[in-house]
Amino acid sequence: MIIIACIDDHNGMMFHKRRQSQDRLLREDMLRQCAGKKLYMNAYSHSLFLKDASLTREAPTEIIAAEDFFLLAGEEDFCFLETMNGFLAAAEATPSLLEQVQGVILYRWNRTYPADTYFSFDLAEDRWILTKQKEFAGSSHERITRETYQRKKGSLS
Amino acid sequence: MKRNKKFWSALLLLLCCLAFAIYTRLMPEDAKAPTGANDTPFSDETGQTGKNEDADSLNRPGGASTLPNQTNASSLSLEDIPAYTGEPYVILQDNLPAFTEEDLTEASFEIYNDLDHLGRCTSAYANVGIDLMPTEKRGSISQVKPTGWQSTTYDIVDGKYLYNRCHLIGYQLSGENANERNLITGTRYLNIEGMLPFENMVADYVKETENHVLYRVTPIFEENNLVASGVQIEAYSVEDKGEGICFHVFAYNVQPGITIDYSTGRSSLTQTKDSDSEQTIEGEIRGNSRSKIYHCPGQAAYEDMAESKNLVIFETEQDAIDAGYRRAHK
Repeated sequence: MIIIACIDDHNGMMFHKRRQSQDRLLREDMLRQCAGKKLYMNAYSHSLFLKDASLTREAPTEIIAAEDFFLLAGEEDFCFLETMNGFLAAAEATPSLLEQVQGVILYRWNRTYPADTYFSFDLAEDRWILTKQKEFAGSSHERITRETYQRKKGSLS
Repeated sequence: MKRNKKFWSALLLLLCCLAFAIYTRLMPEDAKAPTGANDTPFSDETGQTGKNEDADSLNRPGGASTLPNQTNASSLSLEDIPAYTGEPYVILQDNLPAFTEEDLTEASFEIYNDLDHLGRCTSAYANVGIDLMPTEKRGSISQVKPTGWQSTTYDIVDGKYLYNRCHLIGYQLSGENANERNLITGTRYLNIEGMLPFENMVADYVKETENHVLYRVTPIFEENNLVASGVQIEAYSVEDKGEGICFHVFAYNVQPGITIDYSTGRSSLTQTKDSDSEQTIEGEIRGNSRSKIYHCPGQAAYEDMAESKNLVIFETEQDAIDAGYRRAHK
């Protein structure tokens, strides 16, 4: 599976159970990355995409909302994580879950927001390689950076 | 007879005027109709004419009686606030701001309350909407000298200057320039680490959704100090009833490594005591320049970091914090 997350300058994801930020053009970009594949997320995240029905028509992506979505995703599917809590708890119970993560797409806001939930997935260089990096302007953010990481062959988390 | 009737009518009118004058003079300030700068968001005296002159009559059901209650909503004393422990802000009252249902309005406004008898800022309150946000770069604010203002520099402070003129309602939210009722003497740390993240979050939310956010900042002073101990920040998104933005925090007006005399604003480098050095963690602090996270000896990823090409070494945790890093959770 490939996990997708949005983070601030300090790897923050959420504050007080709310996402730090959102951006319509970022979602559009995310859907393009997942085009033709399944994109899993929880109901809280799904509510964002319900606003963007026109976007899903342009870049057809099957969005599936479920609370334990990372357990359902197949090898080539994408999982949009707005918090790591459920994922890490599931990984403790099923350690092979971490090994199933073959790619990571990080969207950086290039801003500092308040945070109490952080992206703690370890992208150490000996196991992960940054394969792509792209900057673009969002609908309300001047500069968003998309980073694509791929697991190095033969490496495990 | 006719002349008599005129006399009694005039006397009655005079008595009515006299009674009204006495009534308005004796009535408590907070019960008066919202005609003063403190009560109405759209007063000329706030310097904010023209932005939302119609809003008072558009979306404020009930008119003046629904004006937010400034004095009761955010009463807080320093005794309610935990001491600074290294984090730039602390959550208050489960992160729930003290706004009421009556405060919710879809009309933008901004209120900058009067300075107190010592010339200190009291509070600023806005309903931030896209129409309130600036369309041009900020102008000069250097002519304002908030209470306790000192122009002091230190090498250990980012940008050298210990103090910034801190906007209570940030410029990016309300476009307010040199308003003495909106500027306090705040450390660089308060401005950048304590307040800016919250302003960023609110500004980006409003820009993206075009919703409104009730946003109130109250500086808290200890007794007659001229420099605030910190600021209380409350925010709540209106249209989605707090689903997007909801917080209530206190940001500390401190600067790591600097000791501040809050009564005057004077400052000095903090003296390191021998006992402090005894408590210092043995071994270097290893930071990751990519994640901006640092690891202390004994932490989970500490040994792995030794080989990282993103390794940055700090002598102390404070050095890492000052460089914008945060401690790893494990």
